[in-house]
Amino acid sequence: MVNPSLLIGLPLAFAFSIPLFGLISKKIEKYIPIIALFINMVISFMLIPQILKKPIVVSIGGWSPPFCINLVVGPLGILLATLISGIGFLVSIYAVSYIKEEPTEKYHILFLLLMVGAIGIVLTGDIFNLFVFFEILCISSYALVAYYKDKEGTEAAMKYLIQGSVGSSFILIGVALLYGFFGTLNMADIASRITSANPTYLFITLAFLITGFGIEAAIFPLNAWLPDAHSSAPSSISAILSGIAIKTGVYGVARMVYTIFNANSILLFIAFLGLLTLLIGEMCAFRQDDIKRLLAYSSIGQIGLIIFALGIATSLGVFASLFQIVSHALAKALLFLAAGYMIYRVGSKSIASLNGLGKKMPLTSFAFTIGSFSLIGLPPFAGFVSKLSIVYAAMQVKKPVFLAFIAIALIATIIEAGYFFKIVQNLYFKEGKNLDKITESSGYILIPIAILAILIIVIGVHPQFITGLLKASARELLERAGYIGWVLGGT
Amino acid sequence: MSLIYNWMYYIASGGLILIGMYIILVKTNLIKIIIGLNFIDTGVNILLVCIGYVKGRTAPIFSTSRINPTNVVDPVPQALVLTAIVIGVAVLALALSIAIKVYEHNKTLNVTKIRGLKW
Amino acid sequence: MQLITILVVSFLGAGIVYLTGKFSGRVRDISAVLVSLAVVILVGLAYNQKIYTNFYSLPFLNLSLSLRLNYLSWFFAIIVAGIGFLSILFSLEYIKDYQGVGFYYFMMLFVNAGMLGIVLSADFLSFYIFWEMMSWGTYLLISYKGGKAVAAGLKYIIMSVAGSLAMLFAIVSLYASYGTLKFSSLASLLQIASPGYILFLLLMFVVGFGVKNAIWTLHTWLPDAHAEAVSPFSAVLTGVLVRMGMYGFLLIMYSIVGLSLLHKLGYGLLNFNYILCWIGAITIVIPTFTALLQNDSKRLLAWHGIGQGGYMVLGIGVATSLGIAGGILHTLNYAVCGALLFFVVGAIEHRTGGVRDLNELGGLIKRMPVTFIAGLAGISGLIGVPLTNSFVSKWMIYKTLIMENYPFLAFAAFIGTWGTILSVYKFLHNIFLGQLPEKYKDVKEVPLTMQIPMILLSLAIILFGILPGIPLKVISGIEKSFGVEPLSTTMFGMPKEIGELNLINILAVLLVAGIVVYLIFSLSAKSRRVNQDDNYAAGLFVPRGKYQYSARFYDQAYRIIGPYLHDVVDDFYYWLVGKSKSSFQIVRQIYTGNINTYALYILLFLTLLIFVKLGWGL
Repeated sequence: MVNPSLLIGLPLAFAFSIPLFGLISKKIEKYIPIIALFINMVISFMLIPQILKKPIVVSIGGWSPPFCINLVVGPLGILLATLISGIGFLVSIYAVSYIKEEPTEKYHILFLLLMVGAIGIVLTGDIFNLFVFFEILCISSYALVAYYKDKEGTEAAMKYLIQGSVGSSFILIGVALLYGFFGTLNMADIASRITSANPTYLFITLAFLITGFGIEAAIFPLNAWLPDAHSSAPSSISAILSGIAIKTGVYGVARMVYTIFNANSILLFIAFLGLLTLLIGEMCAFRQDDIKRLLAYSSIGQIGLIIFALGIATSLGVFASLFQIVSHALAKALLFLAAGYMIYRVGSKSIASLNGLGKKMPLTSFAFTIGSFSLIGLPPFAGFVSKLSIVYAAMQVKKPVFLAFIAIALIATIIEAGYFFKIVQNLYFKEGKNLDKITESSGYILIPIAILAILIIVIGVHPQFITGLLKASARELLERAGYIGWVLGGT
Repeated sequence: MSLIYNWMYYIASGGLILIGMYIILVKTNLIKIIIGLNFIDTGVNILLVCIGYVKGRTAPIFSTSRINPTNVVDPVPQALVLTAIVIGVAVLALALSIAIKVYEHNKTLNVTKIRGLKW
Repeated sequence: MQLITILVVSFLGAGIVYLTGKFSGRVRDISAVLVSLAVVILVGLAYNQKIYTNFYSLPFLNLSLSLRLNYLSWFFAIIVAGIGFLSILFSLEYIKDYQGVGFYYFMMLFVNAGMLGIVLSADFLSFYIFWEMMSWGTYLLISYKGGKAVAAGLKYIIMSVAGSLAMLFAIVSLYASYGTLKFSSLASLLQIASPGYILFLLLMFVVGFGVKNAIWTLHTWLPDAHAEAVSPFSAVLTGVLVRMGMYGFLLIMYSIVGLSLLHKLGYGLLNFNYILCWIGAITIVIPTFTALLQNDSKRLLAWHGIGQGGYMVLGIGVATSLGIAGGILHTLNYAVCGALLFFVVGAIEHRTGGVRDLNELGGLIKRMPVTFIAGLAGISGLIGVPLTNSFVSKWMIYKTLIMENYPFLAFAAFIGTWGTILSVYKFLHNIFLGQLPEKYKDVKEVPLTMQIPMILLSLAIILFGILPGIPLKVISGIEKSFGVEPLSTTMFGMPKEIGELNLINILAVLLVAGIVVYLIFSLSAKSRRVNQDDNYAAGLFVPRGKYQYSARFYDQAYRIIGPYLHDVVDDFYYWLVGKSKSSFQIVRQIYTGNINTYALYILLFLTLLIFVKLGWGL
């Protein structure tokens, strides 16, 4: 019977112990995040069967809810926590041999703090606690984007910091207004009393909260920081940002809209916003020359698709959105890790310089191909099953406007197919220049890439591994009475 | 008159937030934009404290035995504000250090000229 | 026997061939041939069985994937397996000098397996899964050659993905309306649907299958893809891959929607079948004449592929038993002839070092006689000379068009054959007849493994030409399963009531004529061998190099019909892509790089959210 607060506490303790280990030997520091995140992953896997039976609510400080800070570990929380720990573990293996620029121990400390922030966001049940963990995530990522201290990195970090700060302030305004209306900070308590306040004021609060979380989640006009930040950060950080950090923003939006505010009338607008983000993201990605910027715009597009699926307020829609979160996190992390190493070997970020790498770095290119095919949505990879679920969920809503939405989403898929297929062809079938000294990636780099590729294929061929957990999470988001019951009515 | 008197602190915090947003929208010097961020943080902190204020009560500090829970203002927002101030200071420190590095690379603090990454 | 074994053998076989290729080249070649042969044998053994299995279930979507075998799938499966096997046999020698041969064999077997999955599937989800796997496999294999093939592959996959997404739209709509995707259940459930909905479904499916089958406006990927891919794969492309679209048409129009429902779609002349016939007719005429203008041998054959596909669409569009049988039989016949002709071109490329330009080749009949005979058989097959297989299918299509009173369509079909005769004669003449250029004096005949597929296919042309009853028996079974009145056939043709084709009579007449001519030839004065350059030139001495009179064949024709046959659809697509690219460039500039602008976006979003929603009502 493991206490889920270990999921947050252990990485935090390990993070602050890195300088202590550094006193013993400089070489051990690289391996501490691996150990911490591996233990996290094991604990979350062990907790899954138990949580599917009955969710765990941990009250901190011995007081009972709604007066204390509590962690509500339901299926959605444990799904995202496992995803975060798993991807963090794989990226930390990659970072052992990828991060060479000093000061490396600060990188590992900040990386573990980022993980703490992300896991804290998904597991907590208290809105100010959510804000604090969100700030931990954001501040660590501002610093990590600027890690290389070069011209592009600092400029990107500066722009990200300014926009992110504005977003966090908006969230804090929202929290303050919520506390002013209800006098409590507990999410379940607010959720149960939401109908007792004036709808207009509540809506203004919701607008602030959606804008604040939307900046982190990269919804259309708010995502101008994303291409700069993801393309200038070190590749392992790009993988984490694209794979995890923006998903926590989506989680924030989902929690606010579904569980706390129960705002069913805004869901159509959110679906429309998601579609706009998808279309503009894919259009901007098409004409990029820089591969990391292209992958960043592709992330924007996929988040648009996830938010579109979230706006279909049926249980299949939320299920499809969560499935797309999982498959996109795996595929995008794989793409950034593979592309990052290819860029490092070739020395330049432009797409034209990747020509012909398929023969020199065959395994890395093969993994890149698998990742891009999964994103486009080709069988037998994971992306196909998630896209099929999204289209099916949208088709089940019998409103004609959704048919137009589906058509636009499929057109965006054609645009996405256009640029990804071109890159895959460049890798394999075009001749490259100056490729003599390039060899295949080393072991530390190949292991996470291979594991991610295998996971994509396995989930694509046999999605039943995760669909049980996904269905339970979708049910948790949609049935807010259940969520309130766990916290207030139960333990 | 009494309307303004009752809402004075809310107007102040709203005003600070609006001034902060104006600075971020209009000013082009990087340091001024960071100061604008700080304005917004301060404004939100004042908003938080205001929400906890109850008319006619006093500070929630157990100094003498005449303080009991019925005549102090709400102490929870005060704790929230402490946390928020610390977060604001941390962000400010990080922002200023990044601004130093930006100046080293670009030799200017004019935001319209620092546009290496676009489109 | 289990249907799933066929698929498992194909897919696993592909993987095993790739892995053995890492160790030894010869083992990989032999295992590739063995795997494809095993697939042919397994499919052959499954003849005349009706099997249905569920092999996989997706509980979260309430779907299960299933496979089935009936006459229609068996017919297409045996074509797929057969041409696949012959292509791999052909490529043993052809592909030896390329890089990444293991990848090539893996992809050939993978695409083969994908196509088998398509024809064997019994519900739309597995159909779509295998369709997509076949598409991306094809794309990788077209681009395999590098150089100009890369652009051709990209064009193919974009158009194919666009078609597949249209299909996905229709499939998910079916699933949302009826809750099941199995063909058999949908066939009965669709009988009560509204004609508008069925028309919408058919339109989406026609777009999806039409991209693959290359009907007129959706054909622009085909010339580039066929011309730039490696020749054995071009044979597979033209013979079977494009005909997957044909299988789709048959499936959706006759297996699922059904003949009775098709007649209800539309008013009078403007119904679905008639429009499909007209699309088929345009697809026959325009590409066949465009083929006249081509100088590249593979492009010429590629344009013919589009044209012959038009015959198939025309055949099944005329919804009579003779027409449907003609269309399906033409699929088999063109698969054999088209694959044979691409093998011939591949053989020429192999021996002359990749030359495809018709103006450079000539006179190779003396050096490569077996290839010439194969080419001649292929040409005759394509035209439809009596005693070849296409004669039977084209006869059936002509007869049904005339019997149903469609004069313009019949005229289009006849013009198509005339155009075919002109352009394939150019093909044969420019490669094999005429003068042999100096640089090709030493080319040898192709090796045995390349000759065997060509000889087998030539024999098949003659065999199916004389005994059309063999494929027609299967086709009657197919027609019975559609609910169309089946064609009654005999081994040598059809009885008088249906179409009156009796090949034994034609064979007898031609044999007698042939024997008479041979007797006259052998009993009269012997012929004298003359040097080919010994020609009268009015006293002038014409040097040998300038004698290549078959170059720029049909030059007059270029000048007359050339301007009319410029591919306007291709230009339209390029214009569309160009306009999209420039609009994307404009959209990119939203992200200007100025932090004040970004803060403005945030603030505008917040105010928009508040004011729009408040005005709209909570």
